[in-house]
Amino acid sequence: MKTSKWITLSLVFIVLISMLGACSSGNNGSGGNKTEGGQTAGTDKPSAPVKLMMWGGVPPESGPQAVVDAWNKEHPEIQVEYVRFVNDDDGNLKLDTALLTGQNVDLFVNYTLTQTQKRIDAGVALDLSAFTDYNILEKMGSNAEGWQVNGKFYGVPTTRSAFFVALNKDALDAAGLPVPKDWTWEQAREYAKTLKPATGYGMVQHLEPFLDPIDAALTKEGYVKADGTSNLDSPSVKKWLETLGGMMTLDQTTPPLGEQITSKIPVENVFLAGESPMLNIGAWLLRSSNNFTDFPRDFKIAFAPVPRLVENQADYIPRGGLGDYISINAKSSYTKEAWEFLKWYADGGMAPMAAGGRLPASNAADQDEMVANLLGDKGDTYDKESLMYVLFEDETPTHVRELPQEVTDLITQEYEKFFLGNQNADQTTANMVKRHNEYLKQAK
Amino acid sequence: MKRNWMKRQQLLGYLFIGPNMLGVVLFFILPAIYSLYLVFTDYKFMAPKMSFIGLDNVKRLLRDEIFYVSLQNTVVFLLAVPISIGLAFLVALALNRKLFFKKTLRALYFMPYITSGVAVAFVWMLLFHPKQGPINAILTSLGVSNPPGWLSTTEYSMLAIDIIWIWFMLGYNMIIYLAALQEISGELLEAAKIDGAKPYQVTYKIVWPLVSPTTFLLMITGLIMTIKTFGIIQAITQGGPGNSTMILSLFVYKNAFRYYEMGYAATISWALFFIIMLITLVQWWGQKRWVHY
Repeated sequence: MKTSKWITLSLVFIVLISMLGACSSGNNGSGGNKTEGGQTAGTDKPSAPVKLMMWGGVPPESGPQAVVDAWNKEHPEIQVEYVRFVNDDDGNLKLDTALLTGQNVDLFVNYTLTQTQKRIDAGVALDLSAFTDYNILEKMGSNAEGWQVNGKFYGVPTTRSAFFVALNKDALDAAGLPVPKDWTWEQAREYAKTLKPATGYGMVQHLEPFLDPIDAALTKEGYVKADGTSNLDSPSVKKWLETLGGMMTLDQTTPPLGEQITSKIPVENVFLAGESPMLNIGAWLLRSSNNFTDFPRDFKIAFAPVPRLVENQADYIPRGGLGDYISINAKSSYTKEAWEFLKWYADGGMAPMAAGGRLPASNAADQDEMVANLLGDKGDTYDKESLMYVLFEDETPTHVRELPQEVTDLITQEYEKFFLGNQNADQTTANMVKRHNEYLKQAK
Repeated sequence: MKRNWMKRQQLLGYLFIGPNMLGVVLFFILPAIYSLYLVFTDYKFMAPKMSFIGLDNVKRLLRDEIFYVSLQNTVVFLLAVPISIGLAFLVALALNRKLFFKKTLRALYFMPYITSGVAVAFVWMLLFHPKQGPINAILTSLGVSNPPGWLSTTEYSMLAIDIIWIWFMLGYNMIIYLAALQEISGELLEAAKIDGAKPYQVTYKIVWPLVSPTTFLLMITGLIMTIKTFGIIQAITQGGPGNSTMILSLFVYKNAFRYYEMGYAATISWALFFIIMLITLVQWWGQKRWVHY
């Protein structure tokens, strides 16, 4: 009797001790890494290479791994490792948690100013004005200004982030329509009507830039009126609602939003299969359109700028400019090494990313070579002239998205109700204004 | 000597629950207390500082129209629980008889419960597709001229979610009912039959009261589990279209992990807690009238 009890008791102890052991060894493991790192920085072991961790949202096989491999070969003393986070709510939460809890993140990529702002507030994005050997504005051009916060750079915008309407050139030629260089949503609507195939839609839109027409108009007009209340009842918003609503129901030239959301229409596939001649999307289309094994196609792709809501070009600031804003973790022990890598990356080290649609923004990178990288051996299947226009020649000033997530969501929820026919345009803008005012009061 | 033995037994007991309690305290009780503290702050994840703001979060919640929309949707979502329990009872009755393929059918009904939620979500999205989905194809062939758009409309989306949830919970409820039905002694049923009770009378007057403790258990656990669920909605509609499928738990999730509004999210969580508490208390009070032990 007694012995058996002692056996149980000792078993419990063994379990407990092994658990505690596991805990403490875990602690030692992570803590150990850190101190080791600190020591190497303190130069008493110069032979060990510095290890940098870079977090980005692009899958490693779409370029980042090739970039990092190329760097690691040239720089044995600084080794970079790429970690992918999925660029959605959960992925950004993971990155933010890693940044705040001091896990190993030395460099990280921001995709919107909304996210960057939070990271600047938290003090994890390093103010780059301390580094004077690289003039970001000079290298990247005036479009980089959109990424300045209080006149300072907390990261380097590295890519040209083009948003455009991809066009089926063959369908356009057959209908005798030119590739537009400057157009309005009314014109786009006419194009969609003319080009509408027997079955299918004249135009499909990716949901990521879906909201951009409003954002572009209100970036110019201002989201807030002079009296501090919401400007979401601007005529531009109503015009957008009515134009698209007409295309969905009256013309049936674009998918009704309800159908698009619930059946998650894969718009890239629809466009590349030739089922729809126009696609409102961004540079990431090239990741798919260069891939002929999964997306075989027999037509040429031309590119047009995203249409405007307003008549006058000067009243409109489309989205675009520069993207992939790479920041250095202010808490990193290797900010200098990270900066060296970042400069190299921006000035052409990122070349392998081009095949995925990410062109370097820096003027130090060779433009022709980059376009060659971008198109690979598929150059003949694109209309080069219009591509060059949307990527390089179009000099319209652009903005980067910095709308707070709450506002994006409230606009989205209200326009969904409109496109589903639950409320008319006036009710929609009135609701948007009401909720935006509430938000403004709250965020103050 | 005896007391000593008792003491040792108690110590042993504590040792056994010790590791688990440690986890509960560290990962549940402490965070719960901390979240109560957060209710009175404007803490935002990633924000450099937080300040004490008293009852502002509560005031904001009471003013927030999305809160009321979510509350309403949550109530609609909870309706799935009694419906699912009722259906499960009928299915369990059927499967408790002599039936061909009884075991296979039981397994089939239980399948949804052990299937990955995301997979379930995607299959149902295809089933509910307004144009190509089989559900609307069946409705059309039955003569419904204008079948609903289900998840692509604000009017039917919550109904569609309810249908999915009823189907999802059915298997689990049914298994528990089957166990309860097998507990019922055959003598009672025979006695009723001898007294001339018709089958529906046996079911309604004998079987249903006898399984009432099970019904009560399923009701309480079902409602608690349902009110906490948001994964399936997040996978299917993310609360849309519009706000038509936004429920309280999803509202908490969005505020916490999309907007990083931790203080506000904590406030909604506590509101949710009080709602669950209230529902459970009402049921405890109500059970005296209909649960027979």
